[in-house]
Amino acid sequence: MIEENITYRQFAWKQFKKNKPALVSFYILILLVLLAVLSPIIANDQPLYMKYKDTSFYPAFETMFNETASGEVIENEDTINFQFQNIDWRTVQLESVCWPLIAYSPNTIDKYNRDYAHPNFPQRLKNYKGVIVELPRGLRHYLGTDKLGRDIASGLIYGTRISLLVGIISMGIAVVIGLILGAAAGYFGNDGLTLSRSQYWLTWTGVFIAYFYGFYTRSLALEQAFNDGIIQGVFSLFLSLIIAALITLTISFIGRKIAIGSFLKKEVSIPIDAIVSRIIEVLNSMPILILIISVSAIISEKSLWVLMIIIGLTGWTGIARLIRAEMLRIKQMEYIEAGKVLGFSNYRIIVKHALPNGLAPIFVSFAFGVASAILTESGLSFLGVGVPDDVVTWGSLLSRGRAEFEAWWLVIYPGVAIFITITVYNLIGEGLRDALDPKHKK
Amino acid sequence: MISLNSPTDPVERLVNSAVNESDLSSESSASEELRQEVRKKLGLDLPVFYINLSSLAESDTLYRIAERSHQENLSKLTKLYGNWSEIQAYYSSLKNLEKAVGQFKADSSLNATYSSNKLTTYKNKSILGAKSLFELNDDNKIIEQISVLDTLYQLRLFSSLNPILKSVKLKYSKIKRNTTNWKNYIPTIQFNGFLNQYHLWLFGDSDRNRGGVIRGDFGKSYIDNKSVGDKMLEMFPYSFFLVIISIILAYLISIPLGIYSAYKKDTLFDNVVSVLVFMLYSLPSFFVATWLLYQFSNPDNLLWFPSNGVKNPATYNNDWSWYDMDSIKHQAPYFVLPIIAFTYSSFAFTNRIMRVSMIDVLGADYIRTARAKGLSERHVILKHGLRNGLLPIITMFSNVFPAAIGGSVILETIFGIPGMGGAVYEAILGIDIPMIVAVFTLTGALTVTGYLISDVLYAIVDPRISYSKK
Repeated sequence: MIEENITYRQFAWKQFKKNKPALVSFYILILLVLLAVLSPIIANDQPLYMKYKDTSFYPAFETMFNETASGEVIENEDTINFQFQNIDWRTVQLESVCWPLIAYSPNTIDKYNRDYAHPNFPQRLKNYKGVIVELPRGLRHYLGTDKLGRDIASGLIYGTRISLLVGIISMGIAVVIGLILGAAAGYFGNDGLTLSRSQYWLTWTGVFIAYFYGFYTRSLALEQAFNDGIIQGVFSLFLSLIIAALITLTISFIGRKIAIGSFLKKEVSIPIDAIVSRIIEVLNSMPILILIISVSAIISEKSLWVLMIIIGLTGWTGIARLIRAEMLRIKQMEYIEAGKVLGFSNYRIIVKHALPNGLAPIFVSFAFGVASAILTESGLSFLGVGVPDDVVTWGSLLSRGRAEFEAWWLVIYPGVAIFITITVYNLIGEGLRDALDPKHKK
Repeated sequence: MISLNSPTDPVERLVNSAVNESDLSSESSASEELRQEVRKKLGLDLPVFYINLSSLAESDTLYRIAERSHQENLSKLTKLYGNWSEIQAYYSSLKNLEKAVGQFKADSSLNATYSSNKLTTYKNKSILGAKSLFELNDDNKIIEQISVLDTLYQLRLFSSLNPILKSVKLKYSKIKRNTTNWKNYIPTIQFNGFLNQYHLWLFGDSDRNRGGVIRGDFGKSYIDNKSVGDKMLEMFPYSFFLVIISIILAYLISIPLGIYSAYKKDTLFDNVVSVLVFMLYSLPSFFVATWLLYQFSNPDNLLWFPSNGVKNPATYNNDWSWYDMDSIKHQAPYFVLPIIAFTYSSFAFTNRIMRVSMIDVLGADYIRTARAKGLSERHVILKHGLRNGLLPIITMFSNVFPAAIGGSVILETIFGIPGMGGAVYEAILGIDIPMIVAVFTLTGALTVTGYLISDVLYAIVDPRISYSKK
C-alpha cells in the first residue's frame, strides 16, 4: 500500500472502483433509481406543459399530487371547468404542448392501438378532426402495446419502481430480522444467556399473558382498525405490540426481583442458538415460493406491502446464518473479552463492538438478496398472485405475453428489464464481496 | 393453522357443490344436515388442537356450530358482551326465527289480499332479514335490522311470526343488559382431549374412516373430494422425474465445466463461460421458459417441439404405458423443453459454486505438493482437487429439492404439466388445505432425504468424516 492512513471504508470503495463491471453496475443502478423516482415525469398520459385556449397548464405535475386536479378556461365568456384525468389530450387541439418522453401511463387504454400494436409498424390515432391518422413520432408506443392497448414502455418504467421498492424493502425487513436473530444466536449460543429460574419461567408466562392481552382480547379492535384503513390498522397493531412488550417486561422484572432462595435463584440458560437454528432449518425445508403463494392466498387482499412483508419474513435465513457465523468468530476475539472485563452490557458489546465488525458480509448478502427478492416478486406477478391487478410490474407484463406468441415485445422487453436489474445487483454483490474481503487488504 | 385462517369455508363449498341451487326458503333445513355431515367427514366438527387459549367469557363448544360465518359472528358478540349463555339463547332464538320464516306459509284466507308477486317480495324480505341477523354484531345495525323486520311483521300476513321476533328482541336486550365484559379479560386454557382435528389428521380414527398422515392418508381434497394421497401419487412422478433428471443433468454439465474453467482460470474460455453462466444466472426461469416456447414451439418461428402435452401416455393410446418404446418415442419431444427449463434453473447456480470452490482448492498448498511430487495434472485435479472441491456442492444438495419444487410451480404452469407444482398452485388458489398440507409434508420429507444423501456423500467424498461414535 502506498497510502497507509486510509480508513477501511475508503479502502473498500477504492477496491470496488477497481472492479469495472461492478462500478458500471453501480451507475446503472443509480440510473434505474432515477427512472423509478422520475417515472411520473417520464411516462404520463398528461402533457408536462400545454397551452389550451390561451391558458398554460402543467397537467402531469398537478395530477401527480392530486388525481382530480382540474383546470379552467374561458371560452365565449363562459368558464369551462375540466378534470385533466378525464380528457385524452392527444385528441385535443392544443396551441402548444410538451409531452413526456412516453405519452402514456401504464394503465392508459389506447383503444385505437389495441390487440398488440407492433413497436415498429404504423400506429393509429384519432385526431381532433375525428380522422384516423398515423400516430406522430412523439406519441408512439415505442415498445408496442398489449391486448387492451396499454403501453409497454410506460409499464416498464413504472415496473422499475415496484421492483426496486420490493427489493429494498423486503430485504430491509429480512436484514433486520436476520441481524437480530443471527447476532443473538451467535453471540449467546446455547448457554450464553442465563436467567434465574424464577425469571425464566415467569418470562414465558409473561409472553403467554402478553399474547392474551395484546392480541387475543384486542382481536376485534384490531380487525376493526384494519377495516378502517391500513394506517389505523398498523397503529392498532403497534399498540398491541407495546401492550404485549410492557406486560412481558413487567412480569419478567417481577421474576428477577423474586429470585430468592437457592431453587429460584438457580441460573437457567435459554438455548437461543438451538431455537434460531431450528427455525432456519424449518424455513429452509419449505419451498419459499409455495409458502409465499399460500400466505398471499390466505391474506386474500392483494397488496404490494403484504407481498414485501412476506418476502422479508421468509428471506432472512441466509443473513441470520451469515451473521451467526460471524458472531461465533468475533466473540472469541480479545476486544470482546476486554469489553466484558470492563463490565459493558451484552447489548452494548453486540451493538457497538461485535456487529460493526461482522457487517461486511451482510452488504454482499443484501445485494444478492435484493436480486432474488426481485426475482420472487416478478415470478409471483407472472403467476398473478400477490400483486394487485392494477399495479403494473415486469412479471405481470411478461404474463400478458403468454397469451399471444406474436407479441414478442411483451416477453422480451420485461425479460430484459428483469435481467438487467438482477445482473446489476449480482455484479454489485460480487464487487462488494471482493472489495470488503479482508484477505485483500494485505 | 392454514385452515383456520383461510378466508373461505370449505364446508360451504362442498355443500354448495352437492346441493343444486335451491330457492331461499327450502335451503336452510335440508342443507343443515348435509352441512353437519360434510363437516363430520372433514373433521371440522372437532376442536382444532389438544389445547387452546381462550377467555372465560367464551364458549368451549363454539366449534360445534355448523356455519363458520355464524361461529365468527358469535365469537365477536362474545368479545363485545362477554356473556355466552345469553348469546347462546339469542342464537337459538334466531335459529327458531330462521326456521319459522323458512317454513312460513301464508294463510289461504289472506291470499286474496296480496298479489302473488307482492307475497313473494315480502317473503324474501323476511327471509333475508332473518338471515342477515346471523351475520351482524354491531349494535346499531342489529337494532335497525330488527326494527325493519318488526315493521314487516306488523302486517297481518306475518302475524304468526311476530311473537318469535319478540323473543329475539327480548334475548338481544338481555345480552346487552347482562354484559359481563370482565370475563373477556380472564385467560383460560381449554383441554380438548384426543378428539381434535390435529389428532385426527395425524393419527386418524377408525370411526371416521380416516387413516391419518402416519398411515399415509392425507384426507380428501376440498375441490373434488378425491383422496389427496391418490392425487399426489398420480402427480408426484411427473414432478419427481423432471426434477431428478434436471438435477442430474445440471450436475453432469456444471461439474466438469466448473472444474475445467477453474483449471483454465482467467483464460478466454473461462471468461466466456463465466460471463455466459452469469447471464444465465440472472435470467428468471419463467422468462427462459416463455422464450423457449416462443422460439421452439411457435408456428411462425420454429415448430420443433410441442408446447405442452406431458401427460399419461394412456391418454394418447390406450395400450401405452410409460415404458413402451413407442410410447417413449412419442413422449420424448414433449419433455425436451421442460427439461431444458428445469435444468437451466439449477445449472447456473451449481456451476458458479463449483468454479469458485475449485479455484479455492487449486490454490491450496496440498495441490502444490501433489504437483511437486510429480503427479500428472489429471491425477492432481481429479484425485486431489475434485474431492475437496465437491464439498460445497454436496452441502447444496439438501436445498435442491425444495428449490426445485418451488420452481416447478411456475414451470409446470407454463408447460401445462400435470405435476405437483401446478397442482399446488391450483390448490392454493382454491384454498384446498389438505392438498397444500400434503405438499408441504412431502417437501419436508424430501428435504430430510436430501440432508441424508448429502451426509452420506460427505462420508464418501471426505474420508475424514465419520458418523460412527468412537
